[in-house]
Amino acid sequence: MGYSNASGDLSSEMEVDAFRRLFPLRFYERHLAELIRPDGRALGKARDTTIALGAVASADGSALAKIGLTTMLAAIKMEVMTPLKESPDEGCIVIEFHMPPICSPLVRPGRPAEAAPVVSKQLSDTILRHVKHFSVRSFSGMIDLKDLSLVSGKAAWMAYLDIYCLDADGSLFDVALLSAVAAFSHLQIPVVSMNDEGKLIVVSEENGEKDVVNKEKRKLRLNRIPFSLTCILHKKYILADPTAEEESIFETVVTVVLDTSDQLVSLYKPGGPALAFTSSVQDCIALTKQRLKELQTILDESISGMEVD
Amino acid sequence: MAGKAAPTPTTYSPSPTTQKTKPSFFKNHDADWVRPDGRGFHQCRPAFFRTGAVNAAAGSAYAEFGNTKVIVSVFGPRESKKAMMYSDIGRLNCNVSYATFATPVRGQGSDDEDFSSMLHKALEGAIILETFPKTTVDVFALVLESGGSDLPVVISCASVALADAGIMMYDLVASVSVSCLAKNLVIDPMLEEESYQDGSLMLTCMPSKYEVTQLTITGEWSAAKINEGMQLCLDACSKLANIMRSCLKEAASGSEE
Amino acid sequence: MVGLSLGERQFIQGGIAQDLRSDGRKRLTYRPIGVETGVIPQASGSARVRMGATEVIASVKAELGRPSTLHPDKGKVAIYVDCSPTAEPMFEGRGGEELSTELSVALQRCLLGGKSGGGAAIDLSSLVVVEGKICWDLYIDGLVVSSDGNLLDALGAAIKAALSNTGIPRANVASSVLGDEQPEVDISDEEFLQFDTSSIPVIVTLTKVGKHYIVDATAEEESQMSSAVSISVNRQGHICGLTKRGGTGLDPSIILDMISVAKHVSEQLINKLDSEIAAAEADEEES
Repeated sequence: MGYSNASGDLSSEMEVDAFRRLFPLRFYERHLAELIRPDGRALGKARDTTIALGAVASADGSALAKIGLTTMLAAIKMEVMTPLKESPDEGCIVIEFHMPPICSPLVRPGRPAEAAPVVSKQLSDTILRHVKHFSVRSFSGMIDLKDLSLVSGKAAWMAYLDIYCLDADGSLFDVALLSAVAAFSHLQIPVVSMNDEGKLIVVSEENGEKDVVNKEKRKLRLNRIPFSLTCILHKKYILADPTAEEESIFETVVTVVLDTSDQLVSLYKPGGPALAFTSSVQDCIALTKQRLKELQTILDESISGMEVD
Repeated sequence: MAGKAAPTPTTYSPSPTTQKTKPSFFKNHDADWVRPDGRGFHQCRPAFFRTGAVNAAAGSAYAEFGNTKVIVSVFGPRESKKAMMYSDIGRLNCNVSYATFATPVRGQGSDDEDFSSMLHKALEGAIILETFPKTTVDVFALVLESGGSDLPVVISCASVALADAGIMMYDLVASVSVSCLAKNLVIDPMLEEESYQDGSLMLTCMPSKYEVTQLTITGEWSAAKINEGMQLCLDACSKLANIMRSCLKEAASGSEE
Repeated sequence: MVGLSLGERQFIQGGIAQDLRSDGRKRLTYRPIGVETGVIPQASGSARVRMGATEVIASVKAELGRPSTLHPDKGKVAIYVDCSPTAEPMFEGRGGEELSTELSVALQRCLLGGKSGGGAAIDLSSLVVVEGKICWDLYIDGLVVSSDGNLLDALGAAIKAALSNTGIPRANVASSVLGDEQPEVDISDEEFLQFDTSSIPVIVTLTKVGKHYIVDATAEEESQMSSAVSISVNRQGHICGLTKRGGTGLDPSIILDMISVAKHVSEQLINKLDSEIAAAEADEEES
């Protein structure tokens, strides 16, 4: 490798970089014609995914999920509430999605990110409606709100799920949902007993106190866990799990949420210049089906990894 | 939005934070009590730093001191807000916030505004603002878990993040606090210790320049005790700076390969 | 902001270096202090303090409240400072907010002591009426009317004066109270409790200009500062709080030296302030 050769490499690299910045669409289309993406992925392939459970000790359940560079930290804190009159033996789940200024150059303090409320709404729609729908019909969906009851009509759990985006690089909803699901599977409900004033307080497990209200219900049963995949539609191509750059260049995305029994939970296609043929929607669903298996394996592995420790 | 349609009922945390008595280890003030995590009085928690935690930022760092976990991102130098007047030196903008689950009781993160201005004061003396005129450097911190000494950890972490972003500084900034519990000074206090402290002293310095950029004291102190506390902090700061420096060196040599 | 020419700047710096400041003072001399108490009749206590052209007002309002669950045996004190646009055109709108927060935080740090209440200027447990149920909440508001430097010291002095001017009505509690119920309280119109203000510290700000530091800097002198250290000292000579302003670093030995100077200066300031407050109180009673 001679010196001149190395500098020649550098200059061609510079040109590619400039081309990428100046004509992003043409840059991408040239890649797509070869059925490969600039980061070396095949069109239908998602980025590397990792889950770490129990990242925050101050929460009752937490998980750090990472797809490519997009990183989310979800944590659940359990508080006690008086159940509503309409549903005396049901608890409640509140979901909040935050994009703090650390996660992206576009977010500044005091000026919330545009994407945050959208993802927040999608998340509560997916998780809560999923919950509600099935519990009414009395067979459990992802979470049966009845599992959150402590003393019928008197006390129930309010699960606060807060998801923080730590690094934003596309497919925010997918990562947020994955971290939420992982946090729920890590959740360890504290043991509580009722004190003299009728308030519930945490007691330590070892003491074996008699008034423990929730001896058996330490874990939430999770059935039919939802998983999602976001795809970009551009001409005849479908790009799974887009990065922030890809999302900014191609504006049409489709997000499919399936649950573990392969039922469609929700499907979002928020406008965009490209119209979706039913066939491409079906392709997206097929991709999501594959992705669901991958994600499920990753989640199972992280859970069994926790149990070994 | 089934969950939000109904008015959110008031909730309370069942964790036993409302106890009236001090935990047993504080009872015998003069006896040899042990710190909750078994450390010596003048022993800091193990410190861990890692750069490049947030890829979207120009520079970032993650720091973990025992249970205290923070992330700091640095953006810029980038164009100042339109409303800002021309300035021939750069501006520094700091913001500290708490994750809702960072504290034992949800959403009780301390006064962020106060912390933001403290972070600003601690850092501004170390940054060579002349190197980026007309522009702003943003330093944003998020406390993921509050385990005591939050602000000192944020400050040290921010200085590593600034170095990671390639912002010119005179020196690294390290920060350590001590708590005064009865007659004893304990360094790098935990959350529990902070909530019962009689006084606190937080010192931020540039260890190689041997200059103090920020010092705050609360509670009643005699001059001799301040001297002792400052000395403890200064020693700890220079040790901390070594850890920070080796983290940066590691990151730099790793990226070269 | 003060705009100064190069000549003016050098004159100020040179004067300080030679221990003769532009207004004839030495480095460690205060401007004349004027105290007036009871300036706001509807407050529980109030005072106006003038230091040269700097003028601040502090008021104390006492209200009944509920103690926090963490400290059922303590009352609560809130300190808030507002910068009036009359003092400086810059304070218009949100312009004064940053300075207001900075001053509020510095005062809280200097006057409220540590988390356990150690070294606090005000004995919080004296504010409790019924433990865990009722306590007095003190709202201390500072207002900057005219600003010519050294705002923090002036505000600290004004709060000290306002607190010694404060009378808290005696609260009589109805004796029979069951369980969780909130007891009824009778507030007396005639009997007032006075604060013990002897332990309230004064704040001494040492402003570093060049190699030297000065007390009670004017706005012009403050514009030349490299850094400033505010130290609150009580009558026993103990430090009750310390904050540093300004970005420039300081050598640790200089800080220790500043602390000992502040201790020395504070003795005179406390005596001066106490006699001024006593005179003002006497004035108020006469009129």
